[in-house]
This record gives sequence, structure tokens and C-alpha cells, in this order.
Amino acid sequence: MLNENVLKQVMATLLKVDAESIGPESSMDNIPNWDSLRHMNLVLALEEEFGVTIPDEDAGNITSYKLIKLVLDDLLNAKG
Amino acid sequence: MSDRQNTIALLSKDDSTMSQMMQAIEELEQGGFDRRISIGLSSSVTVDLLGLYLRKHALMAGSRVDIVPGNYDDPIGDIDLFMSSGVEHMVLVPFFDNLLPSFEAQLETLPQEAIDAKEAELRGRYRIVFEKARSMNTLYLALFHRFGRTTETAGNDRVVAVLARYNVALREEAAAFSNIRIIDSEEIVRTVGQGAAFDMRFYFLNKAPYTRTFMNEFARRLSAAARNFGAHFYKVLVLDCDNTLWGGVIGEDLLKGVRLGPYDYPGNVFWRMQHEIAALERNGVLLCLCTKNNPEDVEEVLRDHPDMVLRNEQIVAKKVNWVDKPSNLRELADELNVGIDSFVFMDDSAFECEAVRQQLPMVKTVQVPSNLSDYPRVMQGVKELFLAGGISEESRSKTEQYRQRANAKESMVQFASHDEYLASLGIEVGLTRNSAGSVARISELSMKSNQFNLTTKRYSLAEIERMMQVPDHAVYSLVVSDKFGSAGLTGVVVMRYEGAVAFVENFLMSCRVIGRGVEFAIWKRIFADAMQRKCYEVRAEYIPTQKNAQVADFYDRLGMAFSIETDGAVRQYSQSAHTFVAPETPWITINYAE
Repeated sequence: MLNENVLKQVMATLLKVDAESIGPESSMDNIPNWDSLRHMNLVLALEEEFGVTIPDEDAGNITSYKLIKLVLDDLLNAKG
Repeated sequence: MSDRQNTIALLSKDDSTMSQMMQAIEELEQGGFDRRISIGLSSSVTVDLLGLYLRKHALMAGSRVDIVPGNYDDPIGDIDLFMSSGVEHMVLVPFFDNLLPSFEAQLETLPQEAIDAKEAELRGRYRIVFEKARSMNTLYLALFHRFGRTTETAGNDRVVAVLARYNVALREEAAAFSNIRIIDSEEIVRTVGQGAAFDMRFYFLNKAPYTRTFMNEFARRLSAAARNFGAHFYKVLVLDCDNTLWGGVIGEDLLKGVRLGPYDYPGNVFWRMQHEIAALERNGVLLCLCTKNNPEDVEEVLRDHPDMVLRNEQIVAKKVNWVDKPSNLRELADELNVGIDSFVFMDDSAFECEAVRQQLPMVKTVQVPSNLSDYPRVMQGVKELFLAGGISEESRSKTEQYRQRANAKESMVQFASHDEYLASLGIEVGLTRNSAGSVARISELSMKSNQFNLTTKRYSLAEIERMMQVPDHAVYSLVVSDKFGSAGLTGVVVMRYEGAVAFVENFLMSCRVIGRGVEFAIWKRIFADAMQRKCYEVRAEYIPTQKNAQVADFYDRLGMAFSIETDGAVRQYSQSAHTFVAPETPWITINYAE
């Protein structure tokens, strides 16, 4: 099960925003700090935090909270 | 432990997660710092993680580092940027596989002339970079390293050959500049392991080839080379004698009994270590002895032992007595008139080491390992303390040698100026108006470009298509190429015409091609087109975002007249098309197509 608080905390740290400001509507479009460089680091940090490997085709595309949650949920379920 | 120490401990742990590390770094940076330096990062790949790790290693050494990132593959422009931001140290990381796209894979099929031409370009370019970086306190230059693996069992394929050659070129060009410190990146790859050094995924996605592991090791070495960013300048090596310079105890084993010599264990370990210490002395390190012994015993070894490498003339001061070591070290500092924090103290006794650590924490204390085969590794660490940022005997003579060779080659590739270098590249810009075949790429570029983007207006495919068809709009696109190949469609100008005024709706470029004057070269034609449509005034604006500060003054640099700054720091320009004069870019050929 994905711990969304941990997810929010990691996103907040990597994107340099308050954890409270992160929610289902958060995305690269409404978080100015979320640029392609920070995105790369975010992917690395998420993989490390949740012990998963995000596939290449998803790594570049999970640019919103919803998409990240979707991909992480899938990966964590697959892990069992 | 205090909170601060806890946080530093967290940083030095290798298994902290990235988000823990970032939190720790930001927390520590809140504190006050006596030493604070700015480092500029310039690379032909994405290396922003290096900045994070440099900050980490600086904090671990008690300094604070501020990072100023450069643009993509624009070392010459980066230096201007760094100088205007007060940067004194820069790190330059050219990337071999990216000299041309997938260079290593291309090499086997690339003609020899292309490889030669690339080397000449490399030399010319970096000579300008180094010349320009003279005002920097230090330029840390990472050499090229291999990115892929070889399948050639002899380990001697074309990549190896070209890599070695280009590295010689970099070293030779760098040799004439005393502020350049070379970083052997091949050695970093070996240390962390080829498999752990690279991240293929982000190389292909974002041109970010390096893993955190690699960056951590890179930053650690760089921090050592920078002597912890000015935190420590070690000058004096204070040595115990028994079981530090020789095996055994002179007072008990006597001259014939101490173990020291080139052939037999364990004397051969000590003999080797004495050679290392002697090399330090030749490079200006002050050697002192501090040992609990009878002075005449120690004198006898120094004078009479046939295999002693270190002799009296290499030792600047001695404390051979039965007084405690911290007191002796204080006296040595007084006698030599140097700060005691410039001392490195080596002793085999845990007791003595602990006493010095307790009473003189500013002295760097190194214990000789009881397991003697570890001694060379420990000595390596001591050498790094003194030499990492300095000039070793070996590198000094190498520098000399490179300098001679560099001079011999000077006539081959020397450009008097940056302009001349640019001219040698044969830059061509294909400027096209309303290129129907490029709609998708134009829209994509408008969506992706953030840094070189004057208004950050994004355009869908349909919008671009529409603007190409209606008479009151025009979409210019540009393809940049040079003698090494084409960089593809890398720039877009969107124009809107209304009455006698032409509006630049947006101008954006890919970071790949910035720094060659292309951004200035295209406007003569665009202004001429506007006049042909009887638009005699051209207006443009810069709308600031979080990411496009680098073009805040672009239209000023282009030579347009500034008119007003409105809400939200939007800068507006208005320029008569008749009197407009673009900056000269004689090295660029413009090919225009409708």
C-alpha cells in the first residue's frame, strides 16, 4: 500500500515546497519548481524511498501527483 | 551529540536517502559560515546532482558552497555568467560520448578526418575557455572517460585510442594555465565501478549520465582537491619514530634490530613509507619528529642506519624527549611559527593519538595501522591531505612536458579570438518561414523550452498550423548546423503583424545551440520581412518566469530600444525597423527558405 504522506514528503523535499501544498491536483504545470532536472531527482528519490524501479517509459512522464500515485501503486502491488 | 553533529553524521552515511540528504543539507546551510564559496558548473551533459554533492562535502568540511549552474554545453558563455555572479571556482565536465551524439558508437565508422577535425575543434574551443577562465581562482577540469564498455578483449579499440588522444589534447591545452586542476574521471569510474557509475535511462531521457554514487565520489575528490574548500591547509607532517618510520623500538632493539630495508617484511613496508614521506618533503611539506626516545638513539638511526631514507637534512625540527606529545606539538608550532591547525600528526600508538585528538582537535591525527599492509592506504590519505590540491613532483614535470608539446602544436590550432574559433566551425543557420513539414517539432519545442524562452507562450500543433496559414502571422524556425553535423530544428520565432506594427509573440531556442550568436543572426531577415509587409515598428516583450532569467536582457543585447517595464516585471521593447542594427555575426551563414 502506498503511503501517501511519505510520497508528499518526498515530493515536498525534492520540489522545495510545503508538504501541505501537495495534493491530487499537483503537477508540473502548477508547481513552478518542478522542472525537468528536479523531476529526474524526484524519480530517483521515489525509487529509493519505495524500493521500486520505475520503467523508462514512465520515468519521464509521471509529471503529476495522480500519475506518480498510479505508477507507484502498480509497482507496489506487483511487488506484493 | 548536538543536532548539528547528528545532521552531519547523517550526511556522511552512504545509505541516507536522497530526500534525507537534501533535508540535512538545507538544514545545515541555515547556519552561519566563515568560509563560503561559489562554484560554477559547466558541462555538456546534465550534472546538477554534482552541485548537491559538492554542497554535502563542503558542509562535512565545515564550509558552505553555493552552486551556480551553467547552460547546456556552453562553457564560454558560462564563464561570462559565472564572472557576473561572482563565482571564483568552476568545474568543467566535458563528456566524451556527447562530443557528437552517441560519439562512442559512431567512432568505429567515423572517418579519420572527422576525428582529427573534432580534435582541432576541441583544442581551439578549450583554449578559448581556459584563456577566458584565467580570472577564475580555480578551474577543475574533468578529463574524458569511457561511457560504454569495450567488447575488444585486448581493450584497445578505437574508443580507447581516440579517448586517450583527446585527453592528451585537454591536458596539453590546460598545461599553460596554472589555475587549472585536472580531475581524472576515469579513476572515479574505476573506483565506483563501471556498472554503478552510469544511469542509461537518464542519459537518454535528460542527458544526465551519472549516478548519485558517481557524483558523490566526484564531489569527494573535488572537495579534497580543493582542500575542503579552504578549510585546511596542511603544511607540517609530525612523525613518531618507533613503528612509524621503522619497525621495532630503537631503545630496545638497537640499530641492528630495527626493521627497515627494501627487501624483507616488515622493513620493506616502512622503507616504502619513508620514500613516500621523502616525496612529500620534496614538495614542500615540513617534516618534524616527535618521539619518546633518547635523542642519541634517534640521531644514530638518522645518521648511521644504511637503509634510512629520511635523514637529518630533511627534518626541520625534532622533539625527542619524554614530554607528552600535545605539549611538544604546541612547541613545534611556536618554533616554526605556523598555525597548529596546519599539522598532521602520525603515530602508531592509540594512546598518543587519542591524547592529541583530545587536547588538540585542530591537528589532523592519523594512526599508523597495526595491520601493516594497510599502511600504504593510510599513507595515501595523508598524501591527499597535502597534495590533492597542490602540485606534486610528478605532475610538475608532466606539466613541463605537456607545456613543451603544447607549444609545438600551437601553430596547428590557434585561434586569435573567439570569433575566429566560431568562424572555423562553419556555422550555418537554415531559417525557414512557415515550414509546414516542421509543425510537430515546432510545437514540441515551444512546449519544452523553458530557459531560452522570451514569453513562454506554448503552442499546440493546431495553433502552429493555423498561424502558418493566416496572413497576419508567421512562424520562423531555424536549423543550426556546423561542420560536425546538424543540431536539428532548435529555434522558433512567432510573429504577428497588425497595421504598421510587427509583434514578436515569442522567441525560443533549445539550449543546445546557445552561445554561438545564432540568436542574434536571424533578426536582420525577420526585420526585413516585417518592413516588406509595411510594418515599420517591431515590438517585443520579455515575460519573466521561474526559469528564463538568462534571457531577461536578451532584447537589450539584440539592440532593441527598451520602452517600459510593466506589472510582473514584463519588459517591453519597441524598435524602428529602419534603424535596427543587429549585433554582427560574420561567422554565421544564413540560408533563407520560404
